[in-house]
Amino acid sequence: MLEVSEIKEIEDILANYIVKKDVVKPNRPAFYIDANNIRDVIALLKQRLGDEAIYISNIVGVDKVSDGVIEVNYFIHLIPFSNTIVIKTSIPRDNPKIPSIIDLLPGAYSGECETYDLLGVEFMGNKYLRRGFFVPTDVTSKNIFPLRKDVKV
Amino acid sequence: MESEAAEKATSLIKIPITLEIPIGPQHPAIHEPVLLKVYADGEEVVGVDIGTGYNHRGVEKLLENNTFYKDKFITSRICGICNTVHENCFVRAVEYISGMEPSARARYLRVLVMELERIHSHMLINAIMAEIIGFDTLFMYIMRDRELVMKAKEIVSGGRVLAEFHMFGGVRRDIDDVKKEKILDILKKLEPRLKYYRRLFEEDPTITKRLMEIGILRPRDVVSHGMVGPILRGSGVKSDVRAEDRYDAYNEVPFNVIVKGEGDSLARMLVRWDEALESLEMCRYILEHLPSGSAVVDERKLPRVFPAGESFARVEAPRGELTYYIQHIKGDKPYRVKVRTPSFNNIINSGFSYLRHSIADVPVILVSYDPCISCMERAIVVDLKNGTEKKVTFRDIAMGKVRLR
Amino acid sequence: MSIIRDVIRNLLSKPITIEYPRKLTPIEKDFRGRHYADLKKCTGCSLCAIECPSNCISMEKLPENIKLRHNPRGLYPNINYMSCVFCYRCVKVCPVNAYITTNEYRLSSVKEVYSKELTIQTVG
Repeated sequence: MLEVSEIKEIEDILANYIVKKDVVKPNRPAFYIDANNIRDVIALLKQRLGDEAIYISNIVGVDKVSDGVIEVNYFIHLIPFSNTIVIKTSIPRDNPKIPSIIDLLPGAYSGECETYDLLGVEFMGNKYLRRGFFVPTDVTSKNIFPLRKDVKV
Repeated sequence: MESEAAEKATSLIKIPITLEIPIGPQHPAIHEPVLLKVYADGEEVVGVDIGTGYNHRGVEKLLENNTFYKDKFITSRICGICNTVHENCFVRAVEYISGMEPSARARYLRVLVMELERIHSHMLINAIMAEIIGFDTLFMYIMRDRELVMKAKEIVSGGRVLAEFHMFGGVRRDIDDVKKEKILDILKKLEPRLKYYRRLFEEDPTITKRLMEIGILRPRDVVSHGMVGPILRGSGVKSDVRAEDRYDAYNEVPFNVIVKGEGDSLARMLVRWDEALESLEMCRYILEHLPSGSAVVDERKLPRVFPAGESFARVEAPRGELTYYIQHIKGDKPYRVKVRTPSFNNIINSGFSYLRHSIADVPVILVSYDPCISCMERAIVVDLKNGTEKKVTFRDIAMGKVRLR
Repeated sequence: MSIIRDVIRNLLSKPITIEYPRKLTPIEKDFRGRHYADLKKCTGCSLCAIECPSNCISMEKLPENIKLRHNPRGLYPNINYMSCVFCYRCVKVCPVNAYITTNEYRLSSVKEVYSKELTIQTVG
């Protein structure tokens, strides 16, 4: 598990961008940041912790109809600290665009393609996005995104 | 005109004409439905495109429409060979939300079943590797010894492949002394066979000539592309979820993390054999040091509605790191469940590693990544009543009209 | 070392294949096999039908000549073995433990098989 000093170290690195702090069970620290700063945050982490130290574990999109936003969560695993931190951003539901991080961490390719195909979040700068990645063609021809809450598939 | 221009030319641009070879979804070389479009110049590979989407099942939408208890049985059927670890991850994620703690004996029994599954999954992928390089005799021998492990799993949990063993707060069956002796007997018969196969993989020239120096991955490439599991450990990076998170009983059972430095296909297969031997030792330790107490949960007294919260659970599947993220707001059905299997990262992000190898090496590299496409995509529904393969629309799956098999 | 020694030894001994329809496979006593309800204990509460993950249990009315005091609604569960996945959720969630379990695994057939006959036979 993370020691108090290690959490403090990560917080110092990202001090300029954190809006709110939280904890995802079981004791994984979560940081809320603004959606446009995601590229600076990842570049800063890579620069301070080294090239062989971090990998993207997961990119999750959650559709929150009542708040009118789509939450995009990045789960980043830090190998020297043996724990995973969560970076949470939220983007408006009627214009879901967020900058892509595929040139910094090429491991984000699979996560970004899947989130685009199933939820409709567009990652600007990623030229490999396409609709037939996972979803079969009878659903894509109706031009709907299957995982949104207001869609009856 | 043109001949004069051709004579005056001083340099020549050579354009390689590439041939597109689909190692397609139905192919005798690989056992999984994934499309690898290989662009080859002569015998050398210059580009690879990976095409997916032949087997998508819409599991995440299905999990949002059923209660937590039915979801536990659905997650067990995402993958046939790693079904115990999927169940374990889902059950632990829900336990973190609701605050339930399993007893010590239940935690030891969970680890026992998961380690037995790790042994038989590693034996299966090594048998497949032997089969595609043409060594059919070894394939048959490994499969014969794998039957012993399936018998042990049947003694513990009641089913040879699908062990519906976990429940929120503990397990569903218990073992007594008679069963313990039978399992220890089986492990004693299995151990010399595993050591024999490991020695064979290291020394036999048929295997080493085709596997050495093929598909070398540097540590920096592996980490930045997000690959997990024995691929990471075969390239020298020491990272194992069992040693980092120490969930269930892993903080009390001793084990070593196996790391090899070369990074080629042979190192990845040897990491798997060493892990299988480590799992055998762990199973023995667990059977001899089982704590006393009650492990079985009474399913009639469990709550129907769970409190709100979010949690993120990770587990070490035989293929890598498997994660579940659950967000729950109210009611008895979860709001969002996200499953990320290890084959998702390993196969889709791996297009860079086939370059500059010859075509005969492509199946060898692909099998050394351990593809499990049903884990990766999670969809085709076959209607068995009429014997026809009907394309079921997403509406039927989401409404729960389709019967699970 | 090579595998030749093993191969020659195995060539000269008998094969380990079990000829299944003529000889039975060895199986454990508590393997999850065919299960059916016992009418002497069932109260007709329908919990097993609600909780089944594959929705294969349907509740039927008792036939005319059987009247049971502990079953006021007069219903009993009927399992469709062709869609059952043998997860045993119905066995564990029943409040009066009314299910009888066996290890019978030879259940393939060309038409639908239900548990109705076995259940009615328990009351005689």
